[in-house]
Amino acid sequence: MSPDEVHYPGAVPPARTRFVRSLGLRLHVCEWGDPDGEPVLLTHGFYDHARSFDLLAPLLAERYRVVAMDARGHGDSDRPDAYAWFPGLIDVVNMLRDLGRPAHVVGHSWGGGQATDAATLHPGSVRKLVNMDGFGPPEEGFHVPGRDRDERPAPGQLAGWLDWRVANHSRETFRPCATLEELAERRRQQNPRLSSEWLRYFAAHGSYHTPEGWVWKVDPMAARNIGPFRPEWIAPGWARLRAPMLALVGSEPDTWGPLPEPMLARRLSHVPKVERGVIPGAGHFMHIEQPEAVARIVLDWLEAG
Amino acid sequence: MTRLRDGRAELALHELGSGAGPTLLCLHALYGAGSDFRDLAAAWPGRVLALDFPGHGHSPRSFGGSYTPENLVANADVALAHASEAQLVGAGLGAYVALLLAGARPDRIGGALLLPGRGLAGGGAEPKRAEPEGMSHARFDVLLQGITADADPDPMLENCDRDIRPPDYARAHADSARLLLLAEDDAERPPWWHAVREADCAEVAPADPEAALARLAAS
Repeated sequence: MSPDEVHYPGAVPPARTRFVRSLGLRLHVCEWGDPDGEPVLLTHGFYDHARSFDLLAPLLAERYRVVAMDARGHGDSDRPDAYAWFPGLIDVVNMLRDLGRPAHVVGHSWGGGQATDAATLHPGSVRKLVNMDGFGPPEEGFHVPGRDRDERPAPGQLAGWLDWRVANHSRETFRPCATLEELAERRRQQNPRLSSEWLRYFAAHGSYHTPEGWVWKVDPMAARNIGPFRPEWIAPGWARLRAPMLALVGSEPDTWGPLPEPMLARRLSHVPKVERGVIPGAGHFMHIEQPEAVARIVLDWLEAG
Repeated sequence: MTRLRDGRAELALHELGSGAGPTLLCLHALYGAGSDFRDLAAAWPGRVLALDFPGHGHSPRSFGGSYTPENLVANADVALAHASEAQLVGAGLGAYVALLLAGARPDRIGGALLLPGRGLAGGGAEPKRAEPEGMSHARFDVLLQGITADADPDPMLENCDRDIRPPDYARAHADSARLLLLAEDDAERPPWWHAVREADCAEVAPADPEAALARLAAS
């Protein structure tokens, strides 16, 4: 079955796709809604892709020109030689510049963090910012079921990373699955709140077939990054944010968030203009679990004052 | 010159000298090149290899502009694998890369001589929180124009000068290394260097370069 034959209730494929150049890379872009409308840029989470917005984008597109980018190394965007946080921010700013006028930005998870830092880096490009549970890992890191944290001292972690690179740096694909269903089910282990039906749709539009089987459209190298990063460095820079932020979390505990409330409140205390919102009955993937509720709160907030 | 591959990246490795002694791998400073070590190589008793980091010398720029010390460590690790075992000498940014690699690969690196140079300090011990504004449109335009025009050096390289270098992170690598020779002079050193000085394996390098290399070769 070809991916175009896999459907999901409410999911609308993009009306237009194209590429935008950033730092030499071609970034893949999906668009919904009036091409002359006010732009809203969507930035997806780590290991996701632009089509993760197939439920939310059409709802926002009733009012806006909605533009979702595949991050570098994800989806149909180019894969760079190496990864770092900062060049991804330049990609977001380049996307915003391509839109030709200041835009609203809605980012999820890792993409929410990128959007927030990009708005801090280049304040003139962002009108309003919606961050969907993208406030960084807890200070002790995310606890992912079935995955042990690397407790070695920094040099041991660096050696582990180097060894992994030596073993894998020629690989273009990662852990192939015999079928799309298997690929989707494996994802469910990390995202247990998402339905098999959605994950099958998500997999169909975010994977490709190789002689070894089905693999995600994501660079194996993108999943492994290393450096002396400290979660407590995340939020103080947000004091420079000029755009108002709507900070959304789901009401339900989930693997990748939300942060414990005191930690989240402390981080958001750095943001000059912030409003909070909670999406009832949703976990980390609120835009997939409750797209109508997210669209309503986002549209109301973007329209207000 | 040998061409090495690190994933999609292509790296130039220069052979600056040969001999029966141990191999020396040279890691240059920000905006430098492997050839900067030509004079030093003459005083080394063994084989001398000098890497051009991406965007320097004969190595193409990093596609997508992700320059970080750790990514440069990965590049240097490929050069180390080519030599199987080596002593390191690094200048500036290359000294920081040499420290990290010496900490990660103590089984294959007998010691590292750390020299001052461009990119030594990086962005300091923690993020600068005092900057009142983000990047201005004007500065951003300059950056992007340089990138799209293939300006040399790659404008994205300046991020290596903004990377945060926490002293305890440097110290952890120093504690894992076998020998670190620190070249000292009257110039101020960054916080990470001060932390490395306190490690058991750290020594002040002899002021005479030939004596410093002799000490490294004997390790």
